[in-house]
Amino acid sequence: MKRLVLGGNDAVAYAVKQSHVDVVSAYPITPQTSIIEKIASFIANGEMRTRFIKVESEHSAMAAAIGASATGGRVFTATSSQGLLYMHEVLHWAAGASLPIVMANANRAVAPPWSIWAEQTDSLSQRDTGWIQFYASNSQETYDLLFLSFRLAERVKNPVMVCMDGFLVTHTKEPVAVFGDEIEEFISVKETRPLLDVEKPEAIGALAFPQDYMPVKIEQHKRISSALAEFKTLSDQFERISSRRYDPIYTYGEENADIVIVAMGSNAETAHLAIDLLNKEGIKAKLVKIVMFRPFPKDELIKAFEGAKKIAVFDRNISMGKGGITKDEIVGALGINNVVGIVCGLGGVDVTENDMVKVAKDVLDGKIQEDMILWGGR
Amino acid sequence: MIIPKEEIMKSNHLACPGCGAALAMRLALKALGKKTIVVIPACCWTIINGTWGNNFAGVPVFHTAFATTAAVAAGIKATLEMQGKDDITVMGWAGDGGTFDIGLQALSGAAERNDDIIYVCYDNEAYMNTGIQRSSATPIGAETTTTPSPIVKDRPKKDLMEIVAAHDVPYIASATVAYPTDLIKKFQKAKSKKGFKFIHILSPCPPGHKFPEDKTIEISKLAVETGVFLLYEIEDGKYRINKKPKFKDLDEYLDIQGRFRNTPKEQREALKEAIKRRWEKLLVKAEHFG
Repeated sequence: MKRLVLGGNDAVAYAVKQSHVDVVSAYPITPQTSIIEKIASFIANGEMRTRFIKVESEHSAMAAAIGASATGGRVFTATSSQGLLYMHEVLHWAAGASLPIVMANANRAVAPPWSIWAEQTDSLSQRDTGWIQFYASNSQETYDLLFLSFRLAERVKNPVMVCMDGFLVTHTKEPVAVFGDEIEEFISVKETRPLLDVEKPEAIGALAFPQDYMPVKIEQHKRISSALAEFKTLSDQFERISSRRYDPIYTYGEENADIVIVAMGSNAETAHLAIDLLNKEGIKAKLVKIVMFRPFPKDELIKAFEGAKKIAVFDRNISMGKGGITKDEIVGALGINNVVGIVCGLGGVDVTENDMVKVAKDVLDGKIQEDMILWGGR
Repeated sequence: MIIPKEEIMKSNHLACPGCGAALAMRLALKALGKKTIVVIPACCWTIINGTWGNNFAGVPVFHTAFATTAAVAAGIKATLEMQGKDDITVMGWAGDGGTFDIGLQALSGAAERNDDIIYVCYDNEAYMNTGIQRSSATPIGAETTTTPSPIVKDRPKKDLMEIVAAHDVPYIASATVAYPTDLIKKFQKAKSKKGFKFIHILSPCPPGHKFPEDKTIEISKLAVETGVFLLYEIEDGKYRINKKPKFKDLDEYLDIQGRFRNTPKEQREALKEAIKRRWEKLLVKAEHFG
């Protein structure tokens, strides 16, 4: 293990290099580009033995990934925002065909107006495509989650998206513990399988009448749902090698907190500071970070919220006409009514620890009872 | 040549009687053999190949999204290359809607990259699977459900062969089921060449073009003899005309098909003019780049 100073994008590229990926198909988009540039340079200088299909669109990026995966290859792609939205149809195809593709998504706001800065509405609006979704908060997490994603995708036969806030995670350089050969025993295990086999000619995805279609979808739902348990198993193995632990949620702060801050992605990094400040003031506060958004870690959240008086969910995303998306997911899954949703940081607006402290206090005191949009103006 | 006896495609498939696209696949697979993987987007062949649990093609088939044929095929080939399985042919098999229209971008991408696949467009000149709507492959003057008389299609058919030729790929050919040995030879040639291959098959459609189901071969032949559909190849940039049209009276081809029943006189003339112009252009190319 050595330490390198890497942005989230670099970390992804290093993980892909070490993951024996057969095929990469990708199309450039800010702020994803440095991932695929780095992969191209790894291939060019012989550090990586991978076929890189330089496609003409994101729609084709995912389509080529599907073909490569259906033939039994380990496959990676990366995108962001508009590119992810352009893939939407094919995302359903990848999940429906049980293909273990791994994709990195640089979370970026959706136009119009044009924006290249952080927001999670792009990937959260792919919620129902059947992809497993992780949200990384820093470079180390992106690096580690990539290895876990390849294994998890192949184990449960379902594609995985690793999301990271544009620039805030993709480009912030931090020291990352990079594996040497010790990761081999974990990552060299490939559970890919060719659906397309000339010795066993089958048709994949043929027209299914209702009585055939629904069982297939039930099976798919079971498959992705099993990812919660399988992730824990794989995480145990990964921890033995790395001494770093990943779970569907991560908590920080007072165990028996009165106020819980929920955050995902870069907001969760900021929230650590907010929790420290709150605890310093004698307020019992804790952070619950959602690492795995799909399948949704309902039971883990129930446990984490036990005893909490109030829960403040910070969403760097918005469902227009409704509000913060993870807030809605939490309320929908848990049926609790002590939750306030705070939409913040859209299009890359800074969300500071002081913002979080103030809002958290007001939520706890009952001064804020309704969902709100955090916006201090220009 | 002797047409290979082995039948890879199975009988009892779900094509309409007289379907040109079903026969085209049967012949194509005779040429390519069992070590072939086929990618099929939304098109008539989505149905022809059978519902859930069936696979009448007899080789592995990946049913995919409308616009993705060429990209999916490229991905399949990429993994096969990594696995060292160089003896497997990957073929995209799409209709005209999936090729001339919604799949054109992916087709262009794969052609420009010279991905080692065979892309086949079986062209029945409209969205037949959804019930006969016009595509950019629909000829001028043809009636469809979205170009009902008196507003029949008023723009000429897109010249896809030349669009693909502009990508400078190793092999491009046109074929029809009326000339089966020519068609099989072209698939065999395509299989033998590395890089991107494109085969354009005219595929008469009895319910869509409105003609009796026993006339498919006759109409395919007439298309070639009248000059409506030119049989030629572009191999490594060199043009070769496979069959010089007899320039039979176009009306003979039009009158046998209900879709041209309401074609106004001036559009019949426009069709004749288009045939002449296209042939003249091809002749020049064959002479100078033959």
